[in-house]
Amino acid sequence: MSIIANHELIERWRNAPAPLLPLLHAFHDRDGYLAAEALRAISAALRIPLAELYGTVTFYHHFSREPQQPQRAPRVCTGPVCALRGGQELCHALADQGATAMPCAGRCDEPIPVLQGHQVLVGSAADDLVHRPAPLPPPNPGSLPECVFAEIRRPDRATLTGYENSGGYSGLRKAVQEMTPQAVIDLVSASKLAGRGGAGFPTGRKWQAVCDAVGTPKTVVCNADEGEPGCFKDRVIMQYDPHAVIEGMILAAYATGATRGFIYLRYEYPEIQPLLERAIDEVKAANLLGPQILGTDFHFELYVRRGAGAYICGEESSLLNSLEGKHPFPRNRPPFPVTHGFADLPTAVNNVETLASAAQIMRRGADWYLSLGMNGQVGTKVISLSGDIERPGNYEVPFGLPLKTLLYDWAGGPGAGRTIQAVTMAGLSGGFLAGDALESATLDEPSIRAHGSMLGAAGIIVFDDRRNMVAAAHNAMTFFAHESCGKCFPCRIGTQRLRERLNGEGPTGVESWLAEVADLGRTMKAMSACGLGMAAPLVTESLVRFFPAQVEQYVDGHKSHAGWE
Amino acid sequence: MNNRSQNRIIIDGVEVEFSNGETIYEAATRHGATIPTLCYDPRLNPFGACRLCVVEVEGVRNPVASCTTKATPGTVVHTSSPTLDLHRKTLLEMVASENDALAVDPLRGYASQELTQLVAQYRAATDRFAGQHSGHSKFEDDNPFILRDYNKCISCYRCVRVCAEQEGDYAISVMNRGFHTQITTEFNGLLRDSACTFCGQCVQTCPTGALGDKKALRFIEENI
Ligand SMILES: Cc1cc2nc3c(=O)[nH]c(=O)nc-3n(C[C@H](O)[C@H](O)[C@H](O)COP(=O)(O)O)c2cc1C
Ligand code: SF4
Ligand code: FES
Repeated sequence: MSIIANHELIERWRNAPAPLLPLLHAFHDRDGYLAAEALRAISAALRIPLAELYGTVTFYHHFSREPQQPQRAPRVCTGPVCALRGGQELCHALADQGATAMPCAGRCDEPIPVLQGHQVLVGSAADDLVHRPAPLPPPNPGSLPECVFAEIRRPDRATLTGYENSGGYSGLRKAVQEMTPQAVIDLVSASKLAGRGGAGFPTGRKWQAVCDAVGTPKTVVCNADEGEPGCFKDRVIMQYDPHAVIEGMILAAYATGATRGFIYLRYEYPEIQPLLERAIDEVKAANLLGPQILGTDFHFELYVRRGAGAYICGEESSLLNSLEGKHPFPRNRPPFPVTHGFADLPTAVNNVETLASAAQIMRRGADWYLSLGMNGQVGTKVISLSGDIERPGNYEVPFGLPLKTLLYDWAGGPGAGRTIQAVTMAGLSGGFLAGDALESATLDEPSIRAHGSMLGAAGIIVFDDRRNMVAAAHNAMTFFAHESCGKCFPCRIGTQRLRERLNGEGPTGVESWLAEVADLGRTMKAMSACGLGMAAPLVTESLVRFFPAQVEQYVDGHKSHAGWE
Repeated sequence: MNNRSQNRIIIDGVEVEFSNGETIYEAATRHGATIPTLCYDPRLNPFGACRLCVVEVEGVRNPVASCTTKATPGTVVHTSSPTLDLHRKTLLEMVASENDALAVDPLRGYASQELTQLVAQYRAATDRFAGQHSGHSKFEDDNPFILRDYNKCISCYRCVRVCAEQEGDYAISVMNRGFHTQITTEFNGLLRDSACTFCGQCVQTCPTGALGDKKALRFIEENI
């Protein structure tokens, strides 16, 4: 087998847009690690100072700096859901293959995922790991109209023909051939579509801001980093409806005047990359992408870039730094990406689900979308539901649907003889909801915020009455501490100190334990530079609020997580 | 926006002028306010890491970092309040908890007393939030000029930034992330194997004495 030479890899990528990540992946795939010699070659070719490049590489937890023995050692999910299903035990069982733990890999509706090379296997034990596609969303359980899932279950929807046969690209054709960019923005604004990546910023307003901003070339970025534990909705959309995401991006480009686009795909979805690239090739061949789209002078190029293991790279400004080959710290804002985004030029960063929704809205109209919500809310949201629940999976709900309806009527409630003790919100970033909130909350931001949490990207993890909630909080805080970028002090130190306090360390008396945890959380929420450090303390805050007895038992009982499943 | 009379903000109840592009921190301190900072160095681009410089801006829910936020006409700013002081104190207690002892010889460097002074000023306790320490001193770096006592490092990146922005050497950077963040050089090696020119700028900007001037320290050792 001939080894591709360094200079060939470098020539392949050095003049491509956003070249650092693909170049690092090319060396990592070839050698199984990033050798000093590889970094020297990349540093020289891309003119990145060696010290900086070295530091940047150590930021991503899927890049190895040492030769792996054996190569492509498995990485086993020990995220909050897999922890309930024996992820840690599976990791131990695979120890002879060099297995290490990884944070949530976005397959929480299945047995435990194990990432091996460019494949994700799933299984519960070392001897029953299988490679198979992640499941489709369950059949629409509520017989309420859906938006992003409306056609996703059609067998050939992932192909261009199948997509076009079920209405795909008709919205784009109409936009490009009959509408001005401003009319497209106005339609999206009228639909009241808002960001589905967590922050809920109105999409029409974002596109307008990029359209109005000075400076070219402009960029559209699809945020497909989906790093939030308990979230696996973007994965299912990209896998079964990739053209919807691409159509949404082309629409965004047409509306904003962008000429290049990137899909920033999380490392843990390796099978999605070739699928997206194949879809892009199909669309190019159909003259819906590339130069002179549909015979007009509208020009748009689209590239897929793969992350390398860093939750913070889902935060849009950190994502842009990562794409640009810089150290992926979040940027100070203002300025925002709409004016100073990729390469400091106007950029629309949108979530996968937002873009797929925009494609449907173009085809079916703003009024149709406005009619989809419930109880005065507008539109729909895909919810990733997992944990102790009979039918985990992705459900598209109308905003305003009672949480109860989703948990019990749609997803079958907890296992036989069990009751639901708590659910998380926004994956882990909203902390826990329990008690009355489980009865009264509806699935929309105002209601969930009134309960002291947030809906965010809408991952919901269910914990039944067997579960030790202090252990669940410890798992969550371990994630935030692992993923804190390390730039701002309150988050860098605070996530570590909270993790320790849930890990058997810290003050021995309940009162001083509670005081330290409250003080850390308050200052982190107020002073952190980005959403990670602001959200992490919701975990401890809600733990203390809903489960004071478990906290007391934990601190008094010498901080052991024992006695529960 | 060049109209002079429009460039006014209210800082702690006093209306003051600012020049175009000025940050809230620059405008406020120029008019006599004192705002605590750790990652700030007037010669460097604002970074916004330590968050000590946060101020309250009326109409904005969370405090904002004054070092990175540009002044905009009409903004009403409070540079201190009981809430801000409490957050700053808690934050300084968190910072103190990541290192071993805080006190260092002033001869280590020009800015080496900044952290100890702020901890004293805010009466921050040094025994709260006990836990793992974050730094790893590199005493094995036996170059004759720069002491690398990272047990005292607070990851403010002033050394990294001064090396890049003032010297253009790009010899030092940061590795890992979160609490495991470390100041490093290429391949985490010795300074003499890096692009370092031993100019000493990093030593003089370090606010904790984690970097020390070995020559000054040696002089005292030998002469007193
Ligand atoms: C710590 C953190 C992680 C984030 N991760 C993601 C993510 O994985 N995917 C995503 O779409 N947005 C994520 N976001 C939100 C993005 O910053 C941004 O708001 C979003 O991509 C904008 O797209 P939208 O308006 O279509 O939602 C994250 C934000 C924070 C603070
Ligand atoms: S809040 Fe955390 S992740 Fe965000 S900038 Fe600060 S240290 Fe980085
Ligand atoms: S896939 Fe393991 S917790 Fe999500």
